[in-house]
Amino acid sequence: MERKSPQFGRFAEPSLLILVSLSDGPKHGYAIMQDVESGTGRPMGAGTLYAALVRLEELGLVEALPPEDRRRPYRLTAVGASDLAEQLRGISKFAEQGLRQLGEQQP
Amino acid sequence: MRELLISLYPARWRARYGDEFLAILEERPLGPFDAADILLGALDAQLRLRGVGRQPPPRRGFIMSLRLGGLAAIVGAPLWTAGFVILNELFGTADVRAPAVMMAVGSLSLLVALAGLSAFQARVQPALSWAAFIVPAVGTVAVIVAMVGVGVGNTALTDAFFIGLFAFFIGSSMFAVATFRTGVLSSRAAALLGVAPIISMAGGSGGGFGDVLILSGLACFTLGWMALGVLAVRQDRAPVAARPV
Repeated sequence: MERKSPQFGRFAEPSLLILVSLSDGPKHGYAIMQDVESGTGRPMGAGTLYAALVRLEELGLVEALPPEDRRRPYRLTAVGASDLAEQLRGISKFAEQGLRQLGEQQP
Repeated sequence: MRELLISLYPARWRARYGDEFLAILEERPLGPFDAADILLGALDAQLRLRGVGRQPPPRRGFIMSLRLGGLAAIVGAPLWTAGFVILNELFGTADVRAPAVMMAVGSLSLLVALAGLSAFQARVQPALSWAAFIVPAVGTVAVIVAMVGVGVGNTALTDAFFIGLFAFFIGSSMFAVATFRTGVLSSRAAALLGVAPIISMAGGSGGGFGDVLILSGLACFTLGWMALGVLAVRQDRAPVAARPV
C-alpha cells in the first residue's frame, strides 16, 4: 500500500488524509486539520499539515488559491483527484483482501 | 511563542507559507504536542531545502508520538517510583546514587510521556496541558541540579531535590485532570493518577498509616501512568477517538 512517489516518506498518510479532505472542495489549512481530526479521531499538527501540503503542491496534486485574508485555500488538481482515486481503490482492494482472509481463518 | 516557532523554518519557506501558517496557529491554543510537531516540521523544511532527507524514514507523526509517550510512561513511572521508595528509605537504608539516577531517568521519561500523550488534552485544556509539562520540567531540572550538587558534597541542595519531586507529582496530577476533563485514553487511569498526590500528601502529613498512605499514593501514581501508557500503545494500533467534550 506504499504510495508510488518516495517524496512523501513519513508524510504519506497525512498527504492521503489531506487529499481526502480536499475531495469535497477547496479548504484552507485550519479547515483541513479540523476535517482530518473529526474524520480520523486523531489530531493533525500544523507542522505535519504543512510538511505534507508542501509536498503535495510540489507534485501538483493540490494547488493554492488566492488568499482570503490571511487564510489560503487549497484545492485538488485533476492529477490529485486521479492520484487519490487510485490510492483509495488500492486501499479498498487491500481491505477487501484482508477481510476475505480474516473470514477464511474464522470458524 | 508562535512567532518563535515559525522563525525556525527557513526564510524561503516563511516567505511562501509564513502568513497562512501563523493564521492557523492563531486559530487555536498550542500545546506541547503542537510545539513538538512544529519543531519537527521546521526540521523537515530545513532538511528539504538543503536537499537532505528526500527519502525520509518511515512515517512517524502522531502515531509515533503516542507510541513513544506510552512506552516512556510504562518505563518511566516504575523507575520514578522505585527510586522514590528506595531514596526515602521506606524499605531500609540505601545508597542514594542509584535511586537518584533512577528518579532522574524516570522523570525524563515521564516528561517524554507528558509531551507524547498530551495532543488531545492541549486542544481542550491548553493552559493546564502546558502547566502539566512545565511544572514537572522545572522539577526535573531541580532534581538534576540537586543530584549534581549533592554529588559534589553540597547537602544544602537536598531540599531542591524533594521540591523537584513534589513538582513532578503535581504536574502529573495536572496532566491527569486535563486527561480526565478531555475524556481521552482512560478516565479511570487519569483519576488514579490524579488522586496519587492527595493520598501521598495525606500520608506525609503524619499519622499511624503514614507509610501505607504514601505507598498507596505511589502505587496510584505508577499504575495510573502505566495504564495510560498501555492504552496509548494499544491505541497506536487502532484509530484514537476522543469522546465528545
